[in-house]
Amino acid sequence: MQTSISTSAQRNGLAAFLKRNGSLIAIVLIMIALPFVVALLDGRPFSDVLANETGNAKFVQGLMIEIFILAIYAISYDLILGITGLLSFGHAMFFAVGAYGTGIMLKNLEWGILPTLGGIFVLGVLQALLFAVVLPRVKGITFALVTLGLASVFQIVVQSNEVGEYTGADVGLQGVIPPDFLNTSTERFHLYLIGLALTVVIYLVYRRFVDSPTGRVCVAIRENEDRALMLGYNTFYFKLAALIVSSITAALAGTLHTLHQPIVSPNVASLSYTVLALLIILIGGMGTLSGAMIGAAVFRLLEYFLDKQFSENASFILGLIYVLLVMFVPYGIVGTWQVKRLQIQQGRARLYEALGLRKKPN
Amino acid sequence: MAEEIILQTRNLRREFGALVAVADVSIQVQANTLHSIIGPNGAGKTTFFNLLSGNLKPTSGQVLFKGRDITNLPLHRTAHLGIGRSFQITNIFPNLTVLENVRLSCQALGKDNFRLFSSHRRFRQYEERAREVIDQVGLTKEALLLARTLPHGGQRKLELGMLLAPDPEVLLLDEPTAGMAAEQVPELLELIQQVQELGNKTVMLVEHNMNVVMSVSDFITVMHQGQVLAEGAPSEIAANEVVQSAYLGELYGELEAMAGNE
Ligand SMILES: Nc1ncnc2c1ncn2[C@@H]1O[C@H](COP(=O)(O)OP(=O)(O)OP(=O)(O)O)[C@@H](O)[C@H]1O
Ligand SMILES: [Mg+2]
Repeated sequence: MQTSISTSAQRNGLAAFLKRNGSLIAIVLIMIALPFVVALLDGRPFSDVLANETGNAKFVQGLMIEIFILAIYAISYDLILGITGLLSFGHAMFFAVGAYGTGIMLKNLEWGILPTLGGIFVLGVLQALLFAVVLPRVKGITFALVTLGLASVFQIVVQSNEVGEYTGADVGLQGVIPPDFLNTSTERFHLYLIGLALTVVIYLVYRRFVDSPTGRVCVAIRENEDRALMLGYNTFYFKLAALIVSSITAALAGTLHTLHQPIVSPNVASLSYTVLALLIILIGGMGTLSGAMIGAAVFRLLEYFLDKQFSENASFILGLIYVLLVMFVPYGIVGTWQVKRLQIQQGRARLYEALGLRKKPN
Repeated sequence: MAEEIILQTRNLRREFGALVAVADVSIQVQANTLHSIIGPNGAGKTTFFNLLSGNLKPTSGQVLFKGRDITNLPLHRTAHLGIGRSFQITNIFPNLTVLENVRLSCQALGKDNFRLFSSHRRFRQYEERAREVIDQVGLTKEALLLARTLPHGGQRKLELGMLLAPDPEVLLLDEPTAGMAAEQVPELLELIQQVQELGNKTVMLVEHNMNVVMSVSDFITVMHQGQVLAEGAPSEIAANEVVQSAYLGELYGELEAMAGNE
């Protein structure tokens, strides 16, 4: 009896999941089809994609992998800033530790991919703990500055000649040879699918986290930390949980970056790389999670097309577009859409009421 | 009534620079009573509550709960002891729904806070309790509205709901009706009295409405300039000449002046 109830609940759960996530599933299917569609438009056979032939299809996959990396990186920033309300200026370090760590473990230590992933996981936890050490002592902008300090020290260290053998100092880390099945030049379609899967899984895990008892408290901390304390929450542990989840995720984005890019530049540890995450979630909508995904796509595609059209003026035009976006789409794309949708729903409800009609509740 | 002292202060003192907001106050609160603190504006009532709840640390002195020194307990521990408080200035989660505000208040004392990857809807007991309390304070229709969109009176009710939800043993209520429409005040205070009597709870209440205070309280402490001016049963306080001249006089003097009797 008990089991039959639970299986039917699960089946309903799956049906409900499919129904609720229709657009997500549609996007995933479109993404899987994308390289083939591009090949088709180019008049190339589908087998090109599988055989990893050079061409537009391969190029588009590369661009998409960059978007996945940015999306994973940005969503990890959204968790601590948009959801928990912690302003960190050192987020780039979370990413850079993953990127450099992966490179060093694969190249210098000659670890396989699984031990490397394990190592990244451990590093992710450790760096979150490092940030958390200062958490109980500093708040708001001071936390931002302390984390900026930590990240700056990290950047100086990776750029220094003393560790150049491992990090490539100013030039950056090069010559990492990824495992065959993840090789972006010879097996790009694999890496593309893995990147897509990783992005979707992380998005779903994050959505679940924000909906969990822990995540609800994180939101409460963003809203009014003192009140959360008075209700009996030791807010430190909730912020720590968010930092750990965020840091591991950002480090994984760094891993993907190292697998995909021929070189890891020290730039990924700089303040401008943290600002990049901020910009993406501002474009997409802070605290919305899906905003980080959409923001990453918009950011990278805009950058690509403007670069192609205007070459040297591109960054100026890009800057202008961001100013306009922030002015006229203040809650970001997803945030603004959510507000509008709510307004439309309420407006419709009022209209029905005024006309004396009752909308059937679902 | 059993003579159990649940909450006690010893020479509790808090200074803000040169200002002594609470000056060596020693009081005893009997369990299962409604104990009111009255006094003119700036008497130090809110500061006193902040010392009891751990929101402020005293300059000197002690707070004892059931005989245990809780003076230096971290703020988040107070709620776990069974001491809850509400605020004179509404203190809620503005961008969460009414239901979520109250639900978070229930969840705080449960054991499921670190279920990182299961939906909060699985832990129904918190939501059920939250809905119960929301009905009790009269916010049933507003349950799914964002807290910031409630009118002031609604936010006061929410503040009370967040206090009642985890079912604390001691309730510290700082002007629960502050700024509420006059006709809603008696209803709310009746609810508080009901909760106190039916639940065998200890309530400490700061309230400016004298009629209400006199009728609902078991015991009254009068504060003035950070000090205890008098304490006793409502009838004793009403008859106390010092209180009348120092405090009730101030309050009623104005009324008398308006009536031209002064
Ligand atoms: N954080 C603070 N810093 C400095 N002075 C303070 C602070 N909090 C309160 N005070 C001062 O302490 C005194 C007592 O204030 P308190 O708020 O405790 O009075 P109250 O009895 O609650 O008054 P009311 O009836 O107006 O709420 C006042 O003179 C107030 O200005
Ligand atoms: Mg006060």
